[in-house]
Amino acid sequence: MKPIHIVFSLLLVIAGITVYILTSEPPANAAGVAHQSLAGIKVGGDGAARLATIGKAPFYFQIAVIFLAASLLYMGVPEHRRDRLFRMLFAGATAYAVFVWVSLFSSYQAYHETGVTDVVFGFPVPTNWFLWGVWSGFVVFDLLYVFAFRRYFLHPEDEQSFRELVAEVKSEQGDV
Amino acid sequence: MEAMRQEIILGSVFVYLLICIGVGLWAMRRTKSAGDFFVAGRGLGPIIVSMAVFSSTLSGFGFVGGPGLVYATGMSSVWMAVCSALGYATGFYLVSKRIRMIAEVRDTMSLPDVVFARYGSEAARLLTAGTILLGVLGYLATQILAMALVLQSLLAGTDMFADISLFTCVVISSAVLIFYCVTGGIIASVYTDLVQGIVMIISGALVVITAAHVFDGGLAEASNIMLANDGEDIMPFGTLGMMASLTWFFLFGLGLAGQPHVATKMMMNRNLADNRLILPITVFGYVIAAMLWVSVGMVMRALVLGDVSGPLGAPDEAAPMFLSTYAHPLLAGIVFAGLFAAIMSTADSFLNIGAAAIIHDIPKAVRGKSLNNELFWARLAAVGLSVIAAGFALYSYYENDELVALLGAFGWGTFAAALVPVVLVGLNWKQASARAAVVAISASLIINFSAQVFQVKIAYGISAGFLSMLTSLILFIGLSLLEKPKKLPKDIDRIMEL
Repeated sequence: MKPIHIVFSLLLVIAGITVYILTSEPPANAAGVAHQSLAGIKVGGDGAARLATIGKAPFYFQIAVIFLAASLLYMGVPEHRRDRLFRMLFAGATAYAVFVWVSLFSSYQAYHETGVTDVVFGFPVPTNWFLWGVWSGFVVFDLLYVFAFRRYFLHPEDEQSFRELVAEVKSEQGDV
Repeated sequence: MEAMRQEIILGSVFVYLLICIGVGLWAMRRTKSAGDFFVAGRGLGPIIVSMAVFSSTLSGFGFVGGPGLVYATGMSSVWMAVCSALGYATGFYLVSKRIRMIAEVRDTMSLPDVVFARYGSEAARLLTAGTILLGVLGYLATQILAMALVLQSLLAGTDMFADISLFTCVVISSAVLIFYCVTGGIIASVYTDLVQGIVMIISGALVVITAAHVFDGGLAEASNIMLANDGEDIMPFGTLGMMASLTWFFLFGLGLAGQPHVATKMMMNRNLADNRLILPITVFGYVIAAMLWVSVGMVMRALVLGDVSGPLGAPDEAAPMFLSTYAHPLLAGIVFAGLFAAIMSTADSFLNIGAAAIIHDIPKAVRGKSLNNELFWARLAAVGLSVIAAGFALYSYYENDELVALLGAFGWGTFAAALVPVVLVGLNWKQASARAAVVAISASLIINFSAQVFQVKIAYGISAGFLSMLTSLILFIGLSLLEKPKKLPKDIDRIMEL
């Protein structure tokens, strides 16, 4: 299966989950409600009730989005440069992004079940997963780009091939 | 120093505006051709490109609208910011190398040029240019209006300019913008972006430190106040809920590289290998500056919910109120200069790509060649676009308050939905077809326009831009898969192998 087929399949999965969510009956506070006394401020209300009609659909939605993002990024590396090490590194980076999302979601669910959460580094635990985790989940791909740049993203041979192409084009233009 | 607060803030903004004008004059001498005007002759170093990419991504919205959204809805909107690591990764994995290569081989000056080089379709070029022009008008008008409103609020606090009109502020704001963009083109734009980026990073970092000290118990106390009052607001999905947040993550994370003002900057670096440095600097700059978004909005919400401060008149007052109450006057001055920097760095990028669409892309698509003396017409088009956008801004403010909001909201979602399939996927997949590109762009425009014009409210706060982008991606790939692969021009084919 080519990466583009995986991308297309994941887009269809995301569309399917979205349709499922859109066809369910949204609770009154699905997208928040106005604060009783403070104009311009919204509150979320009962968080668990907001998910009652769609269950874990958003969880699977985001899993599909993470795989979609990883598949698209994978397409950005020339096919002839995708060696075994690259596939392993990429799988590891994707697994980390999924791990962060699973941790975020499960800590959020735990908060709904117990009504309590610890505040660490200034934020509740699920919010820490969100602020540092989600961001760092994709920073790993950025780091891969920086540290493996010459091996996978702009190999010296590819750069040389490009220089030759530029020279050919310029010489053809000169001939004209 | 507290007694001089207003003077210090105005002084900082004034110095910053003078720097912009100075850079415009300096850049004018270096702008000798349309290539210099639109893509800086593809000769910029990595630091300049990094700052230009990040500062044009983070507009005034990040400094005013972002904190306002956190104040109003909790953490929901922060998904637009935490996706930046993904956004820039897609930009550098999928766009930066190929767009820069095509720019050199085909001597392209704009994103529609690249689209034409890739697909060989004038229709695709025309639609891309048209999309850019529509989005630019809206974005530019919102930026000019935001700049004028901030300037008016600053000047109104002085005795001399207490009654200054919005019209005068629009004229002043547009005049500075026009001056440095028209004289120096993209060279002035990217060098002011450098100053703007530095100001934004410094102000972002200092404001976070200030915000963390508003409560004795730091941000943890703010979190506890919010947990005691609602709880959902300080949770990862805020008050708008999971689907609103996740669809924003999709739209902003995967849509960033489709923003033409960002993608165009990726054509300007001197060396391909500089991308290795540009990506981390960009990510670092953005995350520092965006911390203002989270911290200010969160602290202001906790202050109001905890009855420490009265409610704000409007959510967008969160940042100005925070600065005027809790920030040291000098810091407030730097941040206000940073706010102007954020607005102007985005506005000048739009002015540049909008002018390119008018005098370069649309004429090429319609009559097969661009205008003669492009540099002259580019400057004229930049003036014309600014005047029209300023007119839109004033008309919207006084007569029809939905016009600019309509065009502004149309901006990001439209760019993402229309251009991500065509640019992001199309530059990395040889089978992508011109017909699919035309259909995807058209469908995204129709969906986005319909959603805005009919003010469609989607359940669970799902973003219309997300639905539009998802549809256009599916149409683009699906239609391309159905077509027989066509042979690409030799140079493009070879570039797509690298």
